[in-house]
Parts: sequence; structure tokens; C-alpha cells
Amino acid sequence: MSIKNIRNFCIIAHIDHGKSTLADRLLEYTGTLQKRQMQDQVLDSMDLERERGITIKAHAVRMAYLAPDGQKYVFNLVDTPGHVDFSYEVSRSLAAAEGALLLVDAAQGVEAQTISNLYQAVDNNLVIIPVINKIDLPSAQAEVVKHQLMELIGCSESDILLASAKSGVGIPEIIQEIIDRIPPPSGDSQAPLQALIFDSQFDSYRGVVALVRVFSGEISEKDKILFMATDRSFEVEELGNLVLKRVRTGKLDTGQVGYLICGAKNVRDIKVGDTVTLAKNPALQPLPGYRQVKPMVYAGIYPVDSNDFEDLRTSLEKLVLNDSALHYEPETSSALGFGFRCGFLGMLHMEIVQERLEREFDQLIIVTTPNVVYKTILTSGEIQYVDNPTQMPAPGVLDKIEEPFIDAHVISPPEFIGNIMKLSNEKRGILKNTSYIDPTRADLHYHLPLAEVVFDYFDRLKSVSRGYASLDYEFLGYREGSLVKLDIFINGEVLDALSVIVHKEKAYEQGRSICQKLRKLIPRQMFEVVIQAGIGSKIIARESIKPLRKNVLAKCYGGDITRKRKLLEKQKEGKRRMKQFGRVEIPQEAFLSVLSTDD
Amino acid sequence: MNEHAGLYIHVPFCRQKCEYCDFYSITRLEQVEEFVEALLAEIALRAAEFREQVFQTVFFGGGTPSLLSEEQLERIWRALQANFQIDPGGEFSIESNPGTLTLEKLIHFRALGFNRLSMGVQSFNPAELRFLGRIHSVEEVRENFRNAREAGFRNVNLDLMTAFPGLTGESFRYSMEQALALAPEHISCYTLIFEPGTVFYKKMRSGELNPLNEDEEAAYYELAREMLEAHGYCQYEISNFARGREHLCRHNLVYWEHRPYLGLGPSAHSFYRKVRWANKRSLTIYIKSLQKGQLPLDFREELSPEQLMFEYTFLGLRLREGLDTGEFRQRFGMDFQEKYRSAIRKLAENELVEWRDQYLRLSPRGWLVADTVAGYF
Ligand SMILES: Nc1nc2c(ncn2[C@@H]2O[C@H](COP(=O)(O)OP(=O)(O)OP(=O)(O)O)[C@@H](O)[C@H]2O)c(=O)[nH]1
Ligand code: SF4
Ligand SMILES: [Mg+2]
Repeated sequence: MSIKNIRNFCIIAHIDHGKSTLADRLLEYTGTLQKRQMQDQVLDSMDLERERGITIKAHAVRMAYLAPDGQKYVFNLVDTPGHVDFSYEVSRSLAAAEGALLLVDAAQGVEAQTISNLYQAVDNNLVIIPVINKIDLPSAQAEVVKHQLMELIGCSESDILLASAKSGVGIPEIIQEIIDRIPPPSGDSQAPLQALIFDSQFDSYRGVVALVRVFSGEISEKDKILFMATDRSFEVEELGNLVLKRVRTGKLDTGQVGYLICGAKNVRDIKVGDTVTLAKNPALQPLPGYRQVKPMVYAGIYPVDSNDFEDLRTSLEKLVLNDSALHYEPETSSALGFGFRCGFLGMLHMEIVQERLEREFDQLIIVTTPNVVYKTILTSGEIQYVDNPTQMPAPGVLDKIEEPFIDAHVISPPEFIGNIMKLSNEKRGILKNTSYIDPTRADLHYHLPLAEVVFDYFDRLKSVSRGYASLDYEFLGYREGSLVKLDIFINGEVLDALSVIVHKEKAYEQGRSICQKLRKLIPRQMFEVVIQAGIGSKIIARESIKPLRKNVLAKCYGGDITRKRKLLEKQKEGKRRMKQFGRVEIPQEAFLSVLSTDD
Repeated sequence: MNEHAGLYIHVPFCRQKCEYCDFYSITRLEQVEEFVEALLAEIALRAAEFREQVFQTVFFGGGTPSLLSEEQLERIWRALQANFQIDPGGEFSIESNPGTLTLEKLIHFRALGFNRLSMGVQSFNPAELRFLGRIHSVEEVRENFRNAREAGFRNVNLDLMTAFPGLTGESFRYSMEQALALAPEHISCYTLIFEPGTVFYKKMRSGELNPLNEDEEAAYYELAREMLEAHGYCQYEISNFARGREHLCRHNLVYWEHRPYLGLGPSAHSFYRKVRWANKRSLTIYIKSLQKGQLPLDFREELSPEQLMFEYTFLGLRLREGLDTGEFRQRFGMDFQEKYRSAIRKLAENELVEWRDQYLRLSPRGWLVADTVAGYF
């Protein structure tokens, strides 16, 4: 295959605009998958993705295409996630491509991640092919969206394609444009090997499977390779392409995308963003790689049963190979014992990690209330970053606390501006600027405290805008805030894992609400349970749970002991999932739910 | 010697379905005869397997067994005698509903050999009887009871219901007094449970009925126990009271003491040699299977040693006497205290259990939270 006939591209869009569905049609049209092998969003292969109907991880796939003119092409496609938490997945995929299909839902129009993903693609010098999708919808407004895109990209109307990924309209045209507009990869096949690791997976039999894009040189099985950043060398065991499953080829040439297996078993060996070169004839320079992503939120993850700590560590090590944005470090809690402080890109990311640990790794865990990273300035002038409220320096040595702020863009139809401003105000936001992409799309530029945004700003934004507003943000910097640490006491003892940092003015209200939530979540025990919230030694809220009076089913269902036993076994399972704090049994959800503001 | 065992016959018919009830019973009385035929077939099919087993108790439950005609009951009884070894000195019970009993019928029960009668009374308040969907009147209860005595029943149980929506302390006390005035040998007092599939359950989901809260339920339960104990009834199981040891229900003890039993009829459960099974909960399937000469099996599970020990424990703890750790060792070859060391320690710390010789039993506090206690094992 000549390099001239390779096209490497990704599909980018705001969440739910139809990227994975478009990928389905491309797989079908190129004959990579037969109709009978097809299922909706076939690339979303993780259970969690299928259940939630969203893409969580970027998925690479190779397609062979025989064009009507008799030419054979190879397409390396990466389908990317649209949710803001996973924009890092998008940025990594972009580095392996020369072009991007930018999809916009014809009914929704341009939204926040349409813009942020477009900018990322432009920064990577990719050719952009704008596609308006879902034109089959009755509520489609292709003309309006066309104008939004022309404003945004500065393209002409004729550059924009119309499609329905659902019905297949416009697919041949998209394929033709991919061939015509996206340049083939360039690169010197005679130069020393430079291959970028843009993603990795973990296979329990084969170890780490690195996804690579070869920028120069070529690589074959049995080659001795060197990872330039980690400075580790291995021998290549297997090379090939991902065509939904791994297809071994034994070799990867310049411009190609594929997988590499070399017997590496852990993260310390292989880092996403690293460059692979040959040990014998190494490249002089690594490829640019990626900016390290910083987690936005932190939370503790603890095994319910303290004996499972090592098991949890092994699981995290493996998970990180699938999810390089996850950070973790061991920590201890007086209430929960040994566990890990984990850093996440956002709340969805945190939820996904929790579910994957439980489902793929079979871990029984407790996730504590998430928080952002605070910057504390001590009276000595020393600066400390605090990613766990319990580690907040004592008031005596603390000069001030600064909290992270974000630079946020809220994209919305103008009629909701009033509601959005009210909400943002309540969340301590500072409006910097309002601009218009076109008359139907306003862009509100805000500075907001991250802590307020992470927890429920996004959901509330959706509800005050009837689902139309969307949000994109990035870290801005630290600003001083009037913050205090709120502790929760259970029968007089501080349960450290429940401590939170809150804004002084909201402390009373939050303390009360946390106590009330805990009262509902903690089941009645054999004795009274008293829940208190306090700042320092000052108690500001109190609730109590009366002792359990009665829990016995009167009848034993005649001879149906099976049913009785199953009921009791279920109850036992529930008990096993509780954490023992002193004599009090506390359910897993209690640790996470204190900051949620629903109900 | 052969272990104590029970034989249970499920008669799946009622004149009308009570709104709270989730026992398997239907109102198509025209199918009774077909049922009897099928039951006889089932008895014959099971005979060989249980040839060696002596049954000390036989219990006709349901449903409403007293709806069977004298002739039908007699055929069933004869088939049982012909196919199984039944201890002539055993306990032979029949469940009944007031309104289905006549003196004649009761005399016939006695003649067949039944020596224990159980009556579903539930309440002595006419409005409550209607609310529960019962068919009988208060007067019929008294009259049927008198007839039972006259027919010679010296061991009679009354079922009472408590803690249902709308009940008041005063009315419950009244029902209790009325029941006590009849001086039955045995009283079962059940707290209402909202079971999925019942009319009450639907009414609860739609908000039409509100279950009592935990504290109210506990209060009714305590009240029942106080009144019964004051009248010389001793509580020998969570919901069961008897006037003297000789009146404990030996058949129900088979369940709680983890002994074998064979259940016949649709939805009936069995336990034999570490295996539990149940018949299909559908008369149609039951009849069809037996017509084809097949057992109408719904499920069959062989219990692991762990499950057997757990059952033995939570069932034994339901008894006032408690769980016999000596017998536990004999049955499972394992020391109870060693096996459940940390559970016992935690339970004792919370004062939920107490020792009496080799018996571990619920403390007065533990009694009301028996299911929580079971969760520790
Ligand atoms: N009517 C219509 N619906 C479409 C079309 N394309 C996709 N959808 C629907 O839009 C929803 C989202 O589609 P996906 O392909 O999962 O969207 P995505 O962009 O991959 O979403 P994320 O990966 O979560 O960002 C699904 O319910 C699709 O069936 C289309 O052309 N027309
Ligand atoms: S009479 Fe007994 S078995 Fe029949 S429906 Fe009523 S409670 Fe259930
Ligand atoms: Mg997708």
C-alpha cells in the first residue's frame, strides 16, 4: 500500500451529535463490516458505553476501501468522545491524524464542544471537513447551522456536507471528501523510527497494547525498541491493525496506525504520549507528545474491606493503562483505613472510573466526596497544595486559602441568557464578556470557581436552558476565597472522609443539608446515631437516627424457606457493602452523596 | 431411627381471595375435582422415593382445605395412608376458614383422624374483616369454634392479624380479648406484610394504603405478646403462641428445626436430604404435568454446607428455645461458636442474643430484630 492512499482522520463533535453512528456507516460503506455484523455504535465496545449510549474512550479502526475509480485506500479512523471530561481523549487522537470530520447536529446547532474540539483540531493543523448531521430530523435547521459553521470556521457554504448518519444519506460524499481533501501522511520512511503512542489498552493475557502512529521510519516484529521518555527497551512481539479486533500484520510503515505488543506489563514502562524508536538506530528527538493533563477533581477511593487494599492497587494500575488521565496515590483515612487519592477530569470521569473498578475489576469500593485542589499559603509564606480536605493546615498556621478558577464559555440561544446569568451569579461567577457566533448563538464568557461548577452547575445549566446551553472550560488560575473546612461527626467522632471545604457564607446551609442527607442514608442501627456538622469545634447542625425497633418478617412462608433465605442473603450482601465506623455501619453511597444537591 | 418429618398438602382454593394474601390459591372451585385427581397422581409418583420415611405430622394447608368435600378429603387421606408411612400417634392438622365449617364436616374431619384444627380468624371487628377481604362474619367464628369443640377438637389454633392500616390499639385489644375468651390451645399472630402481587401491594404503590411504620408495628407486636402471655400462652416462635408444650404446632416445628418435609400440591415446598424444591405455582401446569406422568417441578436446589448452616441458624433463632449448638455440631461436624465467632461477639455486644446452656437464643431486644440478627451470620 502506497502512503499516498492512506488517510488518517478522526471524527469530532459535541456530545451526541452522532460521531459513533457516522462511524457505523463508514464501516458499513467500506465493507469493513457486513450489515448482519452491525449493531448501533459498534465502536462503543465497553459495556458502560453501550449502556449509557455515550463514547467514553477514543476508538481507532482501520478500513480498506475500494474507490469507484479502482484505487484502493486505507482509512484509519478514530471515533472520539464528545463529553467535556474526555476532551483529553480527543486531543490525543488528533495527533495521530491529518484531518477531522467536524460533526454538528442539525437540530442542536453549534455547541460548546463543537467549538473547543474545532479549535484543538485547528491547533493541530488538521484539515477540517464540516458535516451537518441528522438532517432527517423534523427539527433540523440545516440553513441556520450552515451559517453558524461558516462564521465559526470561516469556510464557504459549499465546503459543508449534509448527512444523516442514521439513514445513510451523504455517506458517499463524505468518503469522497475524505479522499480529496485530507492529505496523505507525510514522513520519511528511511529516517529513524518515530512512532507516537496515542493510546493504550490492557489485555490480561498480552499485557499493554499500545496504539501507535508511525511518523517516520518503519517497525517490524522482533525489532528492539526504546520508549524515549520512560527509557525502557523491549522486543516487539506483535504488530498489526485494529479492525474492531486485532489483525496481525507483522509490520507498520510510515504513516500507518496500528497496535504494538511488546510484553510490557505496567504503566511505568509505557506512557501515552511517549515516542517509540529503534534501540539500534534511535531518533534524535522524541515527537512533541502531549501536555500532561491535570485532574480537575480529587476523591478518595477505599476498599470496603481493608484487606482488599493490594487488590485495589493492582486494579488501579491496570485501569490506568486503559485510562491514562486517571491519577492515583496511596493515602490513609482514620475512618476508612488505607486507600487512594484519585484525580479525575470531571464528575463523569469519576463515575466511570468507579463503575469500571466495580464491574471490570470486581472491586467493592467506597468513593468519598470529591473536591478540587486548594492552594494554601501558610503564615510562614510556604505554599501547599491540598487535594484532601483533611489535610487542610490548621487555622493557626494558615494565612489564606486560594481556590481554582476556570475560564468558561457557555454557548446558548439568547433567550436563556437571563437564566444563565442568574445561575452563574449564584455560583459566584464573574461575567467577562458576551459575544455572538451568529444571532442564534450567544457565547457567555465567565470566570467561575471550579468547585461550584464541578458539582451541579452543569445539570442546572441544562435545566435552566431546557437543554440548549452547553459548557466548555479550562483551568484559569488560583484566587483567594473565603473558605472553611466543615467536619462531620458520627456519635461524636470526626469521620474524616466526609470533611468538605465550603464557602463561609454557605457553611450553615451545607452543614444542615449534609446532616439531613446522612440521616436518610444511614440505616437505623441497634443504638441511636447522632450526626453533627461542625467548623473547628463549633457544632452548626445536628440530626439523629433512632435505634432500630423492628426487623423481622412475621411468617416464614410456610415451607418456602428458600425465599426467606434469599431475602436474608440479600440483606447480608447489603451489610457487606457497608463500612464499619466504630459501631456504626455506613453505606457506600453516604460517602459520595453529601455534596449532591438534588432533592 | 428415622428423623422427624412432615407431610404437607396444599389445597389451592379459596371462595374469595383476601386482598393481602400471597399464598397460591384460586377461586375456580369447578377445578377442585381435577385437582384431587392430580394430587392422587402426585402421591403415587412420590411414594417410592419416600418409602423409608416415617411422617409424624400431616398438614392440610392452603388455600382453604375445608372447601374439599368429605368424599374428596377421604380419597386423599386414604391415598396418603396407602402410599406413605404415617405415624398413627402423629399430629394431623387441617386449615379452615370460618364460614366453610359445619358440625357435620367437623365430625367427619375427626373421623378421618384430624386432631388439630386451624382457623383463619384475623379479626373480630366486622369492618376490619371486610377491609381485609375476608368472607366470614364474627358470628360464624364463634359458632364454628363451638362446633369444633363439639366435634371433639382439643387442639385448635386461631390466626390473628395485626399491624394493618386502620387498626387501632383499642380494636386490636378487643379482637385479642374475643379470641382469648374462646380459649384456643394455640394462637398465631401475624404482622401484615405487603407482598408483591397482592391487591394490598398495588394499593400501597398507588398510595391508597400506607403501611404502619416500624415503631407502630413493634407496639402492636408487643401488645399481642403481653396479652397472650398474661393469659398463659407462651411464645415459642416469633409469631406463635401455645398454651403448654403439648400444644406447640409440631408440623411448623419441622420447618424451624430444619427437618425434612414433603410438600404435595401446586406451589408446595419440600426439603429432603439437603435438597429444596417446589412445585409449580399454577394449578393448570400442575394438572397438565401430572396427566403426562411428570412431576410439576418449579425449581430444585441442592444446598451447600454453608447454606445449610445458615438456614439452621436463622430458623433456630426464631424459636424461643433458641438454636441447639450441640445438635449443630452433630449435624455439621463443626463448632458453632468457632464458626460464627465474630458474629456472636458483635451480637452479644449489642445485647441481641443470650446463652442458655448449649442454646443460643434471641434476647428480648433481639426478638424484634431477628432478621437483622440473622444478617450477622
Ligand atoms: N435522527 C437521527 N439520529 C441520529 C443520527 N445520527 C445519530 N443519531 C442518534 O443520536 C444519538 C447519539 O448518537 P451517537 O452516534 O452515539 O453520538 P456520539 O456523537 O457518538 O455521542 P458521544 O460519543 O457520546 O459524544 C443516538 O441516539 C443516535 O441514534 C442521524 O443522522 N439522525
Ligand atoms: S382464605 Fe387464607 S389462603 Fe385464602 S385468600 Fe384468604 S388468607 Fe389466602
Ligand atoms: Mg460516540
